[in-house]
Amino acid sequence: MPAPLAKPPFRRVLIANRGEIAVRICRGLRELGIESIAVYSDVDREAAHVLAADHAVALFGNSAAESYLDVGKILAAAKAMGAEAIHPGYGFLSENSSFARAVREAGFVFIGPNPAAMERLGGKKAAREEAIRAGVPVIPGTEQDEGDASLVAAAKKIGLPVMVKASAGGGGRGMRMVEREQDLAEAIASGRREAKAAFGDDRMILEKAVAPARHIEIQLMGDQHGNVVSLHERECSVQRRHQKVLEEAPSPAVDAVLRARMGAAAILLGKAVGYDNAGTAEFLVDAQGNFYFLEVNARLQVEHPVTELVTGVDLVHLQLRVAAGERLDDLLRGRDLQPRGHALEARICAESPEQGFLPAAGLLRLVCEPMGPGIRVDSGVYSGFAVPVFYDSLLAKLIVYAPDRATACTRMAQALRDSVYLGIPTNVDFLRRVVEDPDFRAGKLTTDFLKYKPDVVAGGGSEPSDLALAAAVLCEAIAPRALAGHVSSVDAASGGSGGRCSSAVWNELGGFRVFGDGV
Amino acid sequence: MSLQRTYLRAGEPVEVKAERVGGDHWRVRVGNLDYEFRATARSDGGIRLVPVGGDAKAACVAYGARAGQAFMVRVTGSTHLLSAPQPRRKGSLEATGMIRAPMTGTVMRVNCKVGDVVEADQTLAVLTAMKMEHKLCAGLAGIVRKVVASEGANVEQGTILIEVEASKP
Repeated sequence: MPAPLAKPPFRRVLIANRGEIAVRICRGLRELGIESIAVYSDVDREAAHVLAADHAVALFGNSAAESYLDVGKILAAAKAMGAEAIHPGYGFLSENSSFARAVREAGFVFIGPNPAAMERLGGKKAAREEAIRAGVPVIPGTEQDEGDASLVAAAKKIGLPVMVKASAGGGGRGMRMVEREQDLAEAIASGRREAKAAFGDDRMILEKAVAPARHIEIQLMGDQHGNVVSLHERECSVQRRHQKVLEEAPSPAVDAVLRARMGAAAILLGKAVGYDNAGTAEFLVDAQGNFYFLEVNARLQVEHPVTELVTGVDLVHLQLRVAAGERLDDLLRGRDLQPRGHALEARICAESPEQGFLPAAGLLRLVCEPMGPGIRVDSGVYSGFAVPVFYDSLLAKLIVYAPDRATACTRMAQALRDSVYLGIPTNVDFLRRVVEDPDFRAGKLTTDFLKYKPDVVAGGGSEPSDLALAAAVLCEAIAPRALAGHVSSVDAASGGSGGRCSSAVWNELGGFRVFGDGV
Repeated sequence: MSLQRTYLRAGEPVEVKAERVGGDHWRVRVGNLDYEFRATARSDGGIRLVPVGGDAKAACVAYGARAGQAFMVRVTGSTHLLSAPQPRRKGSLEATGMIRAPMTGTVMRVNCKVGDVVEADQTLAVLTAMKMEHKLCAGLAGIVRKVVASEGANVEQGTILIEVEASKP
């Protein structure tokens, strides 16, 4: 472990999140000599992020609304534990400007952009208006939600197909492409429900669908002294249901000229609103290299590791240090930030691509994650962990780094072969099929990539070989570790009687007291 | 020691029987073919398999775990979900009239009640899991005979939620 900084930016930081990102932030905190505080719902009492943190506080309840989205409980935990700052991770409260304000008003530092900048860029609608003002190109669409009827009218005016999107957030929640007029009403209604559930805000906007297009985004980092830098692009074109599947840096479609133009546009936008901390400007790029601004994700992104690997920058360290008031020109002085080599990230999710990407909660009985040169795994699970039904299906991220894209693809395919997540369906084999696809290897990526690859999505439907059948019976005969104790998936997912996790959280944490002074 | 299982492959039951010859030496009969392996447990929960008398390069690592009522095995980079043949239950309802939970989740909405006449592909209920909504649609046109699902209920994958009886032609 590197020597802790002479003066860590904070003494103690609470992480208002769960899963792999909370584990990854714990690591960053530890490297800087900062104590970490996890928070957890009932089902997460033995989750990986609780084990990774120095301290842990129960939030009670299981739904996101009564745990990781409950501002009051999170602030009370931060206060009780003597936290100086709160890191929101991604999702949950990360892009909620009223949370960011509440954190500041309660006397903590919010590890993210200032609330004013967040309000000006956080929502899709607000960001779009800022982009228009700053002269950054945008896709034709509505500027506001004046009810279902006006959205339908706007869709007809813009011309189908259109994208129906949640005004408040990202991650594909509430987002739908509509090609037929008669599908508009249902798309708007179900989009509203998903947006309400995910962000607590059901306003929707419309945009003309630009296709075929690549999804390319620029990583921004700003400080509190007016500096904003671009850490270049990531390409995230391979998506399903508007959720990213595989991400990479640099983009095979971006040359130095386009990189400079997109980076300059993103910086312009960031400076116009006084942005600080980490953020991502998302763009669609058409076949001619025209780029259209989509939105800003005012937080650390799921796919931030590919940027870290090609630029050599630790984004969580930077987030913490700029939040403590340090200057980017000091932090990055003398650093060559040009992208070097190639990084790919695969999102390993508890879902079944072969069955329409159905999510699959339940007991992960056996987990073995790959290692080797150029392999990084940001994981939030372990053997014996029951994946809850209440939250996102992301289990872990597999990230590879190699000198060039072809080697990175080969390395990723091999690392996926070496990834073991058994007990519930996962998308591991699907990810390998994507990486082995000739068009993927050739870098021919568009956001509808998977639409034309039914075989990649569904798999060959290959039947088990004699070897697979023999191996199954031999596993049962001589490696019974992953077999013991049947736990029904509902029990496991709701944290019922299935407490078969091998963790030792209660032993490790000893006599801590929830909201108390036990620490 | 021996262990016997029957798994479905391409819809057909295949009998698999493993017998310990001695030490780590196993004979495995798959259907009517015999294989011999040296099999040893690894500390990571997997097993190492070396075909006896075969090429040493044919050695491989396999991982297995129960998955609900089925068994999941991962070998040479592919995962297979193996299930035992299920006895067919006879019933008056067509299989497509059974609306089952395709995943473990929470019932968000139920759009029908017993006695409703429904069209094929009509949305009968909405299930949510891991923040995503899934519509459950009627497999055929008919009359709703049974509604087990109630809004807010947590249901396990495979649970029958609604039964639709096909309308007579």
